[in-house]
Amino acid sequence: MSDTVPGADRRAERGPVLRKGVGIPASGWFDPRGRALGGFAFSANRVTGLGLVFYLYLHLGVLSLLLRGERSWDDFIRLATSWAFLSLDVVLILGILYHGLNGIRVALVGSGLVADRQRALWWSLGVFGTIALVAAALHIYGSR
Amino acid sequence: MTAVGGATGMRTFRVYRYKRGEPGWRFDLFDVPVTSRTTLLEALRWIQLHLDRTLAIRHSCLHASCGTCGVQVNGREALACVTGVDDLGGTITVEPLANIPVLTDLVVDMREFVERFPEEIPSIRAVASSPETDTPDGIDGYERFEDCIECGLCLSACPVSATSDGYVGPAALAAAQRLLEEPRGTDPDRILDWADDPLGAWRCHAAFECTAACPSNVAPAERIMALRGALAGRRGGA
Amino acid sequence: MMTPSAPRAARDAPRVLIVGGGGTGGALAHDLTLRGLRVTLVERGEFTSGTTGRHHGLLHSGARYAVADQDSAIECIQENAILRRICPGSFEENDGLFVALTDEDMAYYDDFVRGCKGCGIPIQELTTDEALRLEPLLNPETRAAVRVPDATMDAMRMPMRFFATAKHHGARLFNYMEVLGLVTADGSIVGATVRDHVTGSEGEIRADVVVNATGPWSETIARMAGVDVPIVPSPGVMLAVRGRLCNMVLNRMHRSGDGDIIVPQRALSIVGTSSWTVDDPDDLDVPEDHVQRMWEEGARLVPAVAGAEFRAAWSAARPLIGSRAADSGRELSRTFETIDHADDGVGGFVTLTGGKATTLRGMAELCGDVICRKIGIDRESRTRTFVTLPHTAFYADADRRIA
Repeated sequence: MSDTVPGADRRAERGPVLRKGVGIPASGWFDPRGRALGGFAFSANRVTGLGLVFYLYLHLGVLSLLLRGERSWDDFIRLATSWAFLSLDVVLILGILYHGLNGIRVALVGSGLVADRQRALWWSLGVFGTIALVAAALHIYGSR
Repeated sequence: MTAVGGATGMRTFRVYRYKRGEPGWRFDLFDVPVTSRTTLLEALRWIQLHLDRTLAIRHSCLHASCGTCGVQVNGREALACVTGVDDLGGTITVEPLANIPVLTDLVVDMREFVERFPEEIPSIRAVASSPETDTPDGIDGYERFEDCIECGLCLSACPVSATSDGYVGPAALAAAQRLLEEPRGTDPDRILDWADDPLGAWRCHAAFECTAACPSNVAPAERIMALRGALAGRRGGA
Repeated sequence: MMTPSAPRAARDAPRVLIVGGGGTGGALAHDLTLRGLRVTLVERGEFTSGTTGRHHGLLHSGARYAVADQDSAIECIQENAILRRICPGSFEENDGLFVALTDEDMAYYDDFVRGCKGCGIPIQELTTDEALRLEPLLNPETRAAVRVPDATMDAMRMPMRFFATAKHHGARLFNYMEVLGLVTADGSIVGATVRDHVTGSEGEIRADVVVNATGPWSETIARMAGVDVPIVPSPGVMLAVRGRLCNMVLNRMHRSGDGDIIVPQRALSIVGTSSWTVDDPDDLDVPEDHVQRMWEEGARLVPAVAGAEFRAAWSAARPLIGSRAADSGRELSRTFETIDHADDGVGGFVTLTGGKATTLRGMAELCGDVICRKIGIDRESRTRTFVTLPHTAFYADADRRIA
């Protein structure tokens, strides 16, 4: 057509896309506004996953101390049996339990076996995990 | 609703603005008279009528049946026509839906939302019959519109869609699962093939935000899981 | 029924600018496009965001008008059948009931049945027991019931099929484009100045004929051309409650009154409606006493309404044809009209107004006939049998089939 309508060409462009979060990709995963239980479980799974990967490198780094001889290893063991360090161990157990148990929840729900019980699974596995965490904490602190 | 006559207070609205002729986006502040019954959409329309005629908002049915008035309000997906201003705290921030390109101001371009759907979108479903009721002569069973009102709140809430534009998203997958429930002439295998894709049913990571955001009882997350169950069964058995 | 294809308009075909993107404008765009005209449509908000999207969704059998407004009734029943064929899948096709509860209702019964038969509306007289077996939640004190071919339409998505089909055949449809004024030359309207709310820019759109299809806003646009149209905006309140309390449309058997219909719509029940007149169709009230009447009258038809959960209450303005001296709006006719303003001394300008959601296609056909005669084109309407594309096709490319 010979006549143009104002703005017609610019309407065809792809406009900006709003994402949750602070402008960095994936930061929206950790935006708590408007989230329900499932969303928090999703975010926590990613946080614990990153934490466990970080721990893995830390662990390898610690083990490499063995290469530096008995003295540096003994120094490390003294640090590793302090209250602060043992508390970090409890945090590690929390991360392992959460990531593992939520992983079981995701597997059960995501394969369609328990498609519509995600909240009930979260709470029941959470109870089990809390008991396991308390038992582990008692064992860790008790052994000192 | 003309709130001015019976206004019980003023509320401040912080509204996302974007016009394609101007650089970038901004937030405008508006003070609006409201009552205990004023909806978010009524407040936005009051702004449009009395303060700024250039404010673009999307609405049609005013009763949560057409799905056009979806927005993010204070970071949460909602249909503006059934969201009470009284239920919202502080300064009310209103933005368009996430993960769908913005056309202007609070209006998103639903083209990319609709294009994710499989070729057939179910619009009618059977009403469950009961032994105590009859249907009129010549009508075998009552029928009704599907729950899904194509509002896009689920796509906006989905954390996977936030980082992946290729993912077909919860609404499309829920529609596919409903076609398996009631094929009405569609070939179920073709639907399962469509869903059996890394960017299809397998891209979902069980955040369940879609079900939490859905205003119409579609339960897209549960439907995606059921769809995955059907896909897994097909692989195992085939 | 196969959807035949339509050739695109010739480059020198007459141009029509339609102002107003409700069901009326969309149906007219579809009709004129099939006749080979070059159509541009502008709507200041989202399509169907005026009155069209807001109504309760009744696909009229015409029975409500069979006694007092037989022209309307006949228009309705004819369009009812056509729409089911050209928009398959856009309706909950469960029929409806007219229900008599009181002596006054029963006194209306014979006139009602006679009126329906006289207008060609197929009905079936039922006993109370039969009615209660069809609709168990119906008021058990129902005295009589008559089955009519009502249905529920999707108030937004059904009209959007006309937009989708017109777009696929070359019509240019712009939402968020607001008419600021009309452009005149030598006593004729030759176009409109518009503001594009997407970009913020302004400009002119030229056309051979400008059509005013703005429903209750008809007077606003007409004044831009220096003419009057006898349109009275007449709002009514509607109430949506959660729960599908009926499957058939339920009507009270009496002359039009408040709260005398319940329309089921997906998982909601819509109780309507009331009636008053206003000067300005923008910024409508939702009077609380009207909403209260909906609760009360709805509960008379279906007692379960009283305990149902509130979903929404809103107003929509009907475009009624008649003098502004009318009080409530109920005494005005619900027919539609095409007004060629050449009769008022203004060329190139036509108003299409009045009507109901059910008659959108019929309105467009008659207006299309007027426009074609006006500009000397000899083409007939093809919309009576042309199956429309699904509403989602509006957003898809022409070669990608969606549903």
